[in-house]
Amino acid sequence: VEGREEGSGVPAFEKDPLELTVEDVYDISYVIGKDLLKVSRVGAEVSDLQFKIVRVLEMFEIMVNRYNLSLEELRMERDNWKEELGRVVAEGSNGNIIGPDKLVIDLKDPNRPRFTMQELKEVLQERNQLKAQLLLAQEELQLYKSGVMPQPQQNMENPPSDPPLTTEESIEHKDEKTTIQKL
Amino acid sequence: MHFIPPVSKNRIISKFPKCYNPQACLQMKEDWNEKAKSACLDRAARQHGMDRLKMSKAVVVGDLNVGKTCLINRFCKDAFDRDYKATIGVDFEIERFELSGLPYSLQIWDTAGQEKFKCIASAYYRGAQVIITVFDMADIKTLEHTRQWLVEALRENEPNACFIFLVGTKRDLLSAEECQRTERDAVKIASEMNAEFWSVSSKTGQNVQEFFFRVAALSFEDAILQEIELSSSSAVRIGDGEILKVDAGDQQDRAARKPSCC
Ligand SMILES: Nc1nc2c(ncn2[C@@H]2O[C@H](COP(=O)(O)OP(=O)(O)OP(=O)(O)O)[C@@H](O)[C@H]2O)c(=O)[nH]1
Ligand SMILES: [Mg+2]
Repeated sequence: VEGREEGSGVPAFEKDPLELTVEDVYDISYVIGKDLLKVSRVGAEVSDLQFKIVRVLEMFEIMVNRYNLSLEELRMERDNWKEELGRVVAEGSNGNIIGPDKLVIDLKDPNRPRFTMQELKEVLQERNQLKAQLLLAQEELQLYKSGVMPQPQQNMENPPSDPPLTTEESIEHKDEKTTIQKL
Repeated sequence: MHFIPPVSKNRIISKFPKCYNPQACLQMKEDWNEKAKSACLDRAARQHGMDRLKMSKAVVVGDLNVGKTCLINRFCKDAFDRDYKATIGVDFEIERFELSGLPYSLQIWDTAGQEKFKCIASAYYRGAQVIITVFDMADIKTLEHTRQWLVEALRENEPNACFIFLVGTKRDLLSAEECQRTERDAVKIASEMNAEFWSVSSKTGQNVQEFFFRVAALSFEDAILQEIELSSSSAVRIGDGEILKVDAGDQQDRAARKPSCC
């Protein structure tokens, strides 16, 4: 390359060795090759030295090339890990798994899980009892309306219990107030 | 004497309901069992038993989204909702019938199909006289899963103590040929499960009332027959003087309900 400066004026010589590219190696080889030509007339020792220098430059080329490839691989690997980490963190903040059988809960999320299974069970039981009472009350109301029953009367039916009693069990208990009150 | 509110007219079952498909049917007979029939007549005439309202328990199980809640709502409320709202844990309805002149109630327990509620729902399987396993006729893998649902429901109950039904829902979504093909598969599985097969649509209401009438009739008749059996075996024991002397009819009935084995 004609425009290049000679000697240590070549930028490749000034670079951080870890940042060298194969092109830099070619520049260095070009400059050294030109210098070698100037002394080539001197003798057999010089041509032997020339040969060795060319060989070292080839080795240099291979090493820089290899180094850059591994660097590229490492960068790609690092980027993959970054992505993976981001994904896991995002999942974690949604309340998903971050380890075997573990959960991360975002306390700012209004839809975060708040109740335990046990609490849900209890709420359901209470709901079922209230529903059974409502059904009973509706039937009694129906009776007053139809005039079949002159006075308030309890226990038309055994309401479902939680978990419900079998027919036999509920009949056994018919003298008690209601299954609900009993519970 | 207790009073019982009148049963609504469309819950009076006077004729013995037929099965849907004779190939997967729990009982082929055309009419009530003779013994049960005369027991009912007798009871109705004496107004006896009116103070003891019979109640059976049915549990409805199956995959999520197969249409369990819709099936129950169609029958109990004559309503249908196109939007899916998952059942949380468990819910129930009580339907009152009049069969052979006697009042009868069915507790229908609607369980959640979602895996996360299984531990809650399964606590309600116990003490069922009827197990209704439901699948979506338009989603064939839900039919396969009914076996597992049945195993889990049976685990909580006495063997051979339950009537088992296999119900295919959403038949309105299938063409006639598809429907036939799915029913053929279902009948096969039903006979393996010892279940009676029904094919229904909660959307149109097709076969829904027929199905529940059949459930009510079979479980009612079974309850009556069991009671006859128990009271006859305890009558012998009363004769043997093995149990306390009883005078009130109510107490007698209660004694009669004690298992005859002990
Ligand atoms: N076309 C049609 N759709 C139906 C029928 N039955 C239910 N569906 C629809 O199926 C969906 C699920 O119905 P559900 O009854 O809520 O299902 P489920 O089995 O109770 O579900 P879980 O409570 O989660 O176990 C709803 O969107 C219904 O509208 C039917 O007969 N025909
Ligand atoms: Mg449901």
